[in-house]
Amino acid sequence: MVQGYYHSKLTCGTVDGPGMRYVLFLAGCRLGCAFCHNPDTWAQGEQTITAAEVLQEAEEYRLFYENSGGGLTVTGGEPLLQPEFVAGLFAEAQARGLDTALDTCGLASKETIMQVLAHTDRVLFSLKGSTDASYQALTNIKSIRPILQNLQLVAARRPVTVRYVLIPGYTDGKDSLAALIGIMKSLPPAAEIEVLPYHTMGIAKWEKLNWEYPLQGVPEATKAQTEIFRQGLRQAGIRLAATES
Amino acid sequence: MIQENWQGFRPGKWQTKIDVRDFIQKNYTPYEGQADFLAAATANTTAVWEECKRLLAEERQKGGVLDVDTEKVSTTISHGPGYIDKAHESIVGLQLDAPLKRGLIVNGGLRMAQQAAAEYGYKVSDEITEIYSKHVKTHNEAVFELYTPEMRKARHLGLLTGLPDAYGRGRIIGDYRRVALYGVDYLIEQKKQDKEEMFGGSMDQEKMRSRSEISWQIKALHDLKTMAASYGFDISQPAKNAREAVQWVYFGYLASVKEQNGAAMSIGRVSTFLDIYIERDLAAGKITEAEAQELMDQLVIKLRMVRMLRTPEYNELFAGDPIWVTESVGGMGEDGRTLVTKNSFRILHTLENLGPSPEPNLTVLWSQRLPEGFKQYAAEISIKTSAIQYENDEVMRPAYGDDYGITCCVSAMKLGKMMQFFGARANLAKSLLLAINGGKDEKTGEQLAPEIPLPQGDVLDYTEVRKKYSQVLSWLARLYVDTMNVIHYSHDLHAYEAGQMALHDSKIERLMAFGVAGLSCAVDSLSAIKFAKVKPLRNEQGVAVDFAVEGDFPKFGNNDPRVDELAHELTHEFITELRKHKAYRGASHTLSILTITSNVMYGKKTGTTPDGRKIGEPLAPGANPMHGRDKNGALAAMKSIAHLDYADCRDGISYTFSMIPSALGKTDEIRVQNLTAMLDGYSGYEAHHININVLDRAVLEDAMEHPENYPQLTIRVSGYAVNFIKLDRPHQLEVIQRTFYEAM
Repeated sequence: MVQGYYHSKLTCGTVDGPGMRYVLFLAGCRLGCAFCHNPDTWAQGEQTITAAEVLQEAEEYRLFYENSGGGLTVTGGEPLLQPEFVAGLFAEAQARGLDTALDTCGLASKETIMQVLAHTDRVLFSLKGSTDASYQALTNIKSIRPILQNLQLVAARRPVTVRYVLIPGYTDGKDSLAALIGIMKSLPPAAEIEVLPYHTMGIAKWEKLNWEYPLQGVPEATKAQTEIFRQGLRQAGIRLAATES
Repeated sequence: MIQENWQGFRPGKWQTKIDVRDFIQKNYTPYEGQADFLAAATANTTAVWEECKRLLAEERQKGGVLDVDTEKVSTTISHGPGYIDKAHESIVGLQLDAPLKRGLIVNGGLRMAQQAAAEYGYKVSDEITEIYSKHVKTHNEAVFELYTPEMRKARHLGLLTGLPDAYGRGRIIGDYRRVALYGVDYLIEQKKQDKEEMFGGSMDQEKMRSRSEISWQIKALHDLKTMAASYGFDISQPAKNAREAVQWVYFGYLASVKEQNGAAMSIGRVSTFLDIYIERDLAAGKITEAEAQELMDQLVIKLRMVRMLRTPEYNELFAGDPIWVTESVGGMGEDGRTLVTKNSFRILHTLENLGPSPEPNLTVLWSQRLPEGFKQYAAEISIKTSAIQYENDEVMRPAYGDDYGITCCVSAMKLGKMMQFFGARANLAKSLLLAINGGKDEKTGEQLAPEIPLPQGDVLDYTEVRKKYSQVLSWLARLYVDTMNVIHYSHDLHAYEAGQMALHDSKIERLMAFGVAGLSCAVDSLSAIKFAKVKPLRNEQGVAVDFAVEGDFPKFGNNDPRVDELAHELTHEFITELRKHKAYRGASHTLSILTITSNVMYGKKTGTTPDGRKIGEPLAPGANPMHGRDKNGALAAMKSIAHLDYADCRDGISYTFSMIPSALGKTDEIRVQNLTAMLDGYSGYEAHHININVLDRAVLEDAMEHPENYPQLTIRVSGYAVNFIKLDRPHQLEVIQRTFYEAM
């Protein structure tokens, strides 16, 4: 059986997809986001788990997931770096009637995405910015284009919640907002967005790894800033996720 | 007049004999809608509650007790009428002649009454002291005459503690609804008939006892009428409208708290019953929704103002001045209809109209089949107030039918048909130390249990220790049953609850409610011995004063069957052992896993345990995992609790759960939805009870420093709720140390 490299797991997440969910954090990510709050999930590590083990544990709490409209979320790290494991896990979860959610940054080949999407009920799609400039400033990649192509691909096939971290000075400008509105408008109308205010709780993890935190000194996004940004989206007719009400 | 007052009700066998359940089933209106019909507090309610808030602040400033009547023993008819704000009270009646004034109830024990009074700077009058020391035998005195040296020792060393031998046993629920439905005259007639029909003919001890008790009950019913008359109400006949129904029910309850200083004085399951009267009046256009809410708000105000005079020892066991005016709300009927009515909403709504409060102890009888609107409303109020507890109707209904009520925290009984002999609890953690120490008390070195050989070898062998543990438990069970028999024999004779028992069937089922404390500590200790290497470090007396533990071991509360099964096995073994010994008056044995706040005191009396807990540190409350050891998240802890079998623990399994609001989700709506689902899941897995706290630890820390800013801050502790600022510092710290799930 395929082994998945993982970082940790939660039996009851309430912020990664609808309802109460079993959340599996896979290990391994190459995007290198400057604001990452889980940099300890970048390395693949040596801790592994099988789909059967995940599902055996998830079954223990099934009534909670079912009653809340929840299910299973795989996040990371980047799940699409382990497509065979995730596809296999999701296929089996769906066969058992568990809702499956994929939390991804969208950096993968079309084939990889299609392989996993076949068994995925919903996608949480993390946009790290809305422009090339943001991606250049915050990640290891230069262009947002491949990401957006994949977002289109996914949104045409599954319910998508775009997650966008609002970072003062990086992703909160007028140009960012305008570009983001454009992106959202290019998607099917069911696609929604969740705006997550940037916070600095991840810094401790960078320090623990003895890595220099790239966004040193960048302030957290305030409630007011976040609300103004959301308002901009609302006014443009963009659908905000239920978590944003 | 009886028929006239029942006009508009659907007939049934309830009209020809006392059968409140039949009346409810024939007449109630299930409500499947939302909370949007609810009304705000009326001007009357606000006026009364404002005066109460002023009085409550004054009570706090005076150190917790506003006033004590030291001259006159409190009985149903001892004091004239009392009011808070007469012009605005739609429901009347106080225990004494002024609000928050505490009465002396001495038949539990004179010394206790004296100590309690002295604690707050009062002195029991010479006359009362004279009467109760020279002419009346109190319950406390009688018990100590009966106690054997072994019982005294087990009590003194903290193996059996919190026993109701020095205070009223409480936990008896009069079926107060009978007063409203039938009027007192009919109840008196029925009792007279029962006395001859059930207990006539040739006499034996039980018959004579019952005849004597029924006569006492009849007198109590007459007193009840007299007391009501002093407030200008004739309650000899059934209530003829909603206001009377609420008032009649309350008078029944009031008589019981005037007469008894019981550990828990619960009210039963009155809201759905009262809804029938409210619906009748609403349909006839006699009252408005606002007036209906006023009746419930004002009933609840009265229940919040009940006070008892209690000793420092009592307060150490049961912190925060609780009365346990437990009201059971909701649930499902045996015919599949929900027992939720509009009045189930109204009583929860009092927490919004009046603000949070620990009393009455609002207990939602949960089922996945409850109407969604009610589930969501209960969850919403829980999140706002942390004042509600939940008990699983799906596990209780098969055992107790659909007209049971919860007394105290988690104890179910059929209303008007069952009573219980409250038995506090035995300390399972300490019992394990006895097994390790050859039967010697680990704190004093005294021989407590019969001597058994010490386990052999440097490292404790699980099989050997477990076998010795069984020997200790078998001895303890016999001692515990005997001790309870002695206590309740004495209580029946010297502190009989005539007013409450008058509102029961004359032939009743009796439960003897045993309990355990320190379950998770005992189980983790067993797990340490089984899965790690535990070396006892013994003093010169051979008593293990500490343990060296090598290696890790599974801990209760992580949904790990290796250790959860030990908990199941232990509770099953203990109730099985208890059942081997005959209980007083043919009572059935039940068991609770409940500590209330006594886990702190039991911890003080328990030496260092093999699980790593040090001498004197608190045990976990109820069936909770030990503090901070539930590492697998909230759902895993819930599954561990659910692993315990309600069939073994028919007196209830208490679990107290705290989480920060954001752990439930990002928005109010999502939190309500997730809490509802959590309760559905918990119920679906056949767990029994859960206290839900949704708050930030920082709020509690701030309340410790600035209590004046948090007069109504309520937190569920273990089967009941307390006003957080009324807890003493050790109890406050213990609550703060409990696991607060920040993510679940």
